[in-house]
Amino acid sequence: MASEDVEMKTVEETQTEEKKEVVDEVTATVNDIKANFPLLEQGVTNFDSRFMLKVLRTIPSVRRRLTPEIFRRVIKESHPAHEKPTLLLSVLGDEDSAMDIEAPATQSKGPTAVIPEVDVYLHLLAQIFLLDQNALEAGAQFSTEVVKKVHSLNRRTVDPLAGQVYFYYSRFHELLPAPALLGIRSQLLASLRTATLRKDIDTQAQLITLLLRNYLITSHINQADLLIAKTAFPPTASNNLIIRYEYYLGKIRAIQLDYSAAHEHLQGAIRKAPQTSAAAGFIQAANKLNVVVELLMGDIPDRALFRNPMLEKPLKPYFLLVQAVRVGELDAFNKVVDTYGDVFKKDGTYTLVIRLRQSVIKTGIRTMSLSYSRISLREICVRLDLDSEQSAEYIVAKAIRDGVIEATLNHEKGYMQSKELLDIYATQEPTEQFHARISACMDMHNECIKAMRFPMNQHRLELKNAQEARDRERELAKEIQEGDLDDSDTGGDYDGL
Amino acid sequence: MATSTSTEALSTAYHSLRNAFSSSDYEKCLSLLPQLKLALLHNNALLPSPTTPLPTLLAARDILELAALTSIHVSDGAAFARYFAQLAPFYEDARLGRSEMRNRVVGLQLLLLLSQNSIAEFHTLLETLEMEGAQNGGRPEDDVYVRYPVMLERWLMEGSYDKVWEATRGGKVPSEEYALFSTVLVGTIRNEIASCSERAYTSIPISNAKNLLFLESEGAVIEFARERGWLVKDSRIWFPSEEGDKEVLNSESIIENTLGYARELETIV
Repeated sequence: MASEDVEMKTVEETQTEEKKEVVDEVTATVNDIKANFPLLEQGVTNFDSRFMLKVLRTIPSVRRRLTPEIFRRVIKESHPAHEKPTLLLSVLGDEDSAMDIEAPATQSKGPTAVIPEVDVYLHLLAQIFLLDQNALEAGAQFSTEVVKKVHSLNRRTVDPLAGQVYFYYSRFHELLPAPALLGIRSQLLASLRTATLRKDIDTQAQLITLLLRNYLITSHINQADLLIAKTAFPPTASNNLIIRYEYYLGKIRAIQLDYSAAHEHLQGAIRKAPQTSAAAGFIQAANKLNVVVELLMGDIPDRALFRNPMLEKPLKPYFLLVQAVRVGELDAFNKVVDTYGDVFKKDGTYTLVIRLRQSVIKTGIRTMSLSYSRISLREICVRLDLDSEQSAEYIVAKAIRDGVIEATLNHEKGYMQSKELLDIYATQEPTEQFHARISACMDMHNECIKAMRFPMNQHRLELKNAQEARDRERELAKEIQEGDLDDSDTGGDYDGL
Repeated sequence: MATSTSTEALSTAYHSLRNAFSSSDYEKCLSLLPQLKLALLHNNALLPSPTTPLPTLLAARDILELAALTSIHVSDGAAFARYFAQLAPFYEDARLGRSEMRNRVVGLQLLLLLSQNSIAEFHTLLETLEMEGAQNGGRPEDDVYVRYPVMLERWLMEGSYDKVWEATRGGKVPSEEYALFSTVLVGTIRNEIASCSERAYTSIPISNAKNLLFLESEGAVIEFARERGWLVKDSRIWFPSEEGDKEVLNSESIIENTLGYARELETIV
């Protein structure tokens, strides 16, 4: 009995301890959020967006800990008593009355009016909060209001936050049933126009990627293409946005059969993307697309790619696809397409995969042309599983014209004669390859130089120092002339110069 | 008042267009169209707007579809493309539901793009259809009208020109409008085959070339060979050999590149 009591007690104790920890957690989170306010203010006074980015970086850690209670406290403590942030409080909705937890009264300090940056930051947190609660309808409505608010603000220091607000705005509508996504296009376009006019780079870049995503989801490729043609993506946008933009661009170019451009963009996206598990989804998607594009270009992706632990499993169907294309077996290819058709459809690569059929045939012909110096059309027909010898003849002729193989056809006797291989080193090719690599290195070097940062107005400070030094020097010279000073006294100063 | 009369004018003109189209009187259709477009404009139905009544919009879509088909019949590709662009917002509008003629028109647009060799746009349009197909739980190729251009494209890309030739023969096309493209397509594949043959064969007997190029007579082959500048000798066609285009090192670009590197080095050092 007694021992049970003790156990009960300890359980209770641990429970209260846990509660205490929870409370501490709440306070800690509230403090974390509030610690960001001075940063935001500093960002405004110094007019430096780096402070804003610092704040944005804390969002993932805050996001995990966000609860209605925390949120209520933050809102209460950040707003002056007479100001009622009705929109923000609406996020908490009915929970407000149901739970009825009064936040400790710490308003004694009395925060003064809220600056827009802090306001937008809180709204952003509210958006994320709603998204995590899966309150899509409410989130979409709330976001629409926030976007209106952000759209009306004309402060460069809000921009980095505003970009995020638009992101979640679009995300909510994306998760809602189909027509919602079409509905926000006009708002996004209007905001893009405003952002472009205000040279608001962060929002501009964010909106362009969002619009592209929007168009691609509904596969309005033409509109997406026009958007790219009509807008200039700000080259100084944040890395994440550039990566996303490159990915969408790669996708569009792939659909338009411009595979080399697509490959370039996708590779750029993959290389620039953070190689951590946080970006796993993106890297997987980009690699999937890139594999197909490489195959369409006639290249075989690197085997090591499929051994990467992050990519191995999701890229399995693509690995089998590569195998089928590499050996040029139409049979194996059809089997892969049949088995994994739904996967490809889900990844949005199905139409591209279907286009690979001709690549499989071409590879098949190429292997045959490399292995045999002479092979009959009938044999080709059987091996490639084609319907007729006539088809085979046309297909081989086309392969010759497209430069896939170096061979000639003999129509009367019905065979293909391979030509001897060209020595690639005797051509322009190596020079071109080297040139491409050298220019890439040069570009990187130039980019690095451009990316160097110097503290603002430092040179003026130096100028001032120089001026002062010169004054001191003159004074010294004067004093020396007057003979009031010993040499030993002045030595230190000269060293400083 | 004004609206009711314009609605009436629209419906009468619409009926006469239908009649003219079903009796294959395309000249009459053409003469009716300007008048109809005006009527549509008066009814605010040239573009689907939320205020226009649904029946008018349905009629407008029908009219545009008929107009598109008519322009194919009078082989006016540009006009068809215009009507197709005008139809796009009608097909996007969820209120209107699916049009029966839609796939026929879309298939024709695909075929038109194919015959103009606008492969990129062809695939772009197909991608859009693929998306819709996924939503309706099917594939665009399931539709007979869409399948035709899709298969043609696949064969063309693969090089199975004999299958394209088969498909363009009478009786294999899904509707009469599609047959109008056959001549263009045969011309396309003939040119393709010709350019392939130039590279693939050194010489070929004329009788074989006749079958290869899908020409009716040996005379036509000789005529065709002359057009392309092939040599006809001893009842064989000799293709011009392309020994001349061996790669020559382009000294100019090498100099240019090297100077470029020197300049860049200068800026670094």
